[in-house]
Amino acid sequence: MEILLIGILLLAGLAFGTLGSHYFGVPRVVGYILIGMLFSPDLLGDYLGLDAARWTQPLVAIALGIVAYLIGGAATVGQLRRLGVSIITATVGKVTGAFLLVFAGFVWLGVGVPDLPGWGVPLVLAALATITAPAAIVAIIHQYRARGPLTTALLGMVAMDDALGVVIFSVVLALLAADGVVSALPLVVWEIVAALVIGGIGGWLIERISRLLHEHELRLVALVGAIILLVGLAEAWHFSGLLAAMTLGFTARWFGGSHAERLFEPVEQLEEMVFVLFFTFAGLYFDLSVAVEHGWLILLFFMLRAAGQVVGSWIGARLGGAPPAIANNVGLGMLPQGGVAVGMALMLEGQPRFAEMATLAINIITASTLLTESIGALAARFGLQRAGELDMANGGQHAGQQGRRNGDEGK
Amino acid sequence: MKASDWLAAHPAEAVTVSPEASLPEAAALFLEHPEVRDIYVVDAEGRVCGHLGFRRLAGLLLAHLRPTHSRRQLVERVVGGSVREHMDDHVLVMRPDERISEVFHHHMERRVEAIPVVDGERRLLGVIRIADLLRKAINRY
Repeated sequence: MEILLIGILLLAGLAFGTLGSHYFGVPRVVGYILIGMLFSPDLLGDYLGLDAARWTQPLVAIALGIVAYLIGGAATVGQLRRLGVSIITATVGKVTGAFLLVFAGFVWLGVGVPDLPGWGVPLVLAALATITAPAAIVAIIHQYRARGPLTTALLGMVAMDDALGVVIFSVVLALLAADGVVSALPLVVWEIVAALVIGGIGGWLIERISRLLHEHELRLVALVGAIILLVGLAEAWHFSGLLAAMTLGFTARWFGGSHAERLFEPVEQLEEMVFVLFFTFAGLYFDLSVAVEHGWLILLFFMLRAAGQVVGSWIGARLGGAPPAIANNVGLGMLPQGGVAVGMALMLEGQPRFAEMATLAINIITASTLLTESIGALAARFGLQRAGELDMANGGQHAGQQGRRNGDEGK
Repeated sequence: MKASDWLAAHPAEAVTVSPEASLPEAAALFLEHPEVRDIYVVDAEGRVCGHLGFRRLAGLLLAHLRPTHSRRQLVERVVGGSVREHMDDHVLVMRPDERISEVFHHHMERRVEAIPVVDGERRLLGVIRIADLLRKAINRY
């Protein structure tokens, strides 16, 4: 029955997402989430006797591994150096600002669950708040044919900030997996160091192997096989699979030298399928009563994350020497939040210690993702317009039509 | 047929570029030779050290026209860089004494439109254009 449902989720999600995008101009992720909700326990899921928590976890772990590999391989060391100081500092500022403000806000409110220490839920939500969806920002930039230093900064930042988010989320999970900070330290060290070492060795190996494989199809098997093997090893040996997969991507790119297409292009083709799975699964777990009951938490999460990003990226950009036109607007362009954050929230469901908070986290992230679809896109547009980088005369005319055609926001 | 025999019968010169050239400079070479879809990057000693395809280069220089990007493509769009940073440094080459039928499949898998033939020191002797192979094949019918 589960295999049947996965097929239905993929095809119906795709149909709903693309039709909604084409006819109503709404992002495809809305259709994906709605299809997932249709099969949730409150509706068809109960009738079909499906317990989503049981069977979705291996798929979520593999899918997150794939995304983490792509995040890790986004840039070479040389490219990171050339990105420019202000982009790096603004990214660090944005991630730090979102993390600190969400953490402080939820600690102050005292949001918690019995299985975790008082700062557990705020810490996890703060880590999830650091993630941004590149596709939404790229879609806006493309729609309005934006060009200029702010556009460049935004493109660089959205490509890089998820890497910091993955590291923070991995460390937070390792910290919370143990009882108490002191007893957590060896565990954290093992989780991180093992992930870096094993992922690094894996990256070197897979780069060597890929040189022997001329066929695109064979490279895909090798790359996905390596990611799944790594995620499986992480589960068996209790290190961070997410961080290991990201390190795999980073080192594969490093050892691969120039032209990394052969190592990443085959896997990039799977990314859309991964996001359809994440969003439909998020719909499966979405509980309207939880969302209504905790509506104020969702709103608070959205506002704290937005404020943290705007302030943090302003400070970071100014410290890096960025001009006011970039510093004042860059945070507004980074609000969209998408598939990676949803995938991470889904991952919590598979870990006994986090099971109780998983439903809350999935509902907060899913609902705030829907919120950022509209407000995040408007804010990005406002920021780009204020910086004078939108081609309203040409881009604006085609924006609606283009938006319907793209429908990529939220990934 | 051996590569050397093919080159003797169908001479075709390869277009080359320096690794330090900019991407627009490489693009200008493609525009000067509209029939060419693969250019080879050669070092100061004339040895082949990389390959740059037309679609790859066009994708880099026209990135602003694409509505979607992977993270890798986003970084490439922002940082730009020289030919060296975007070429494929794992170039599949052919030796003069190799038979075309033995290596053709591997080259097709790399989605190239010409097969570079090099000597023992990886200096270019010429290229075998897949279009020429196709022309010969249909002439048989």
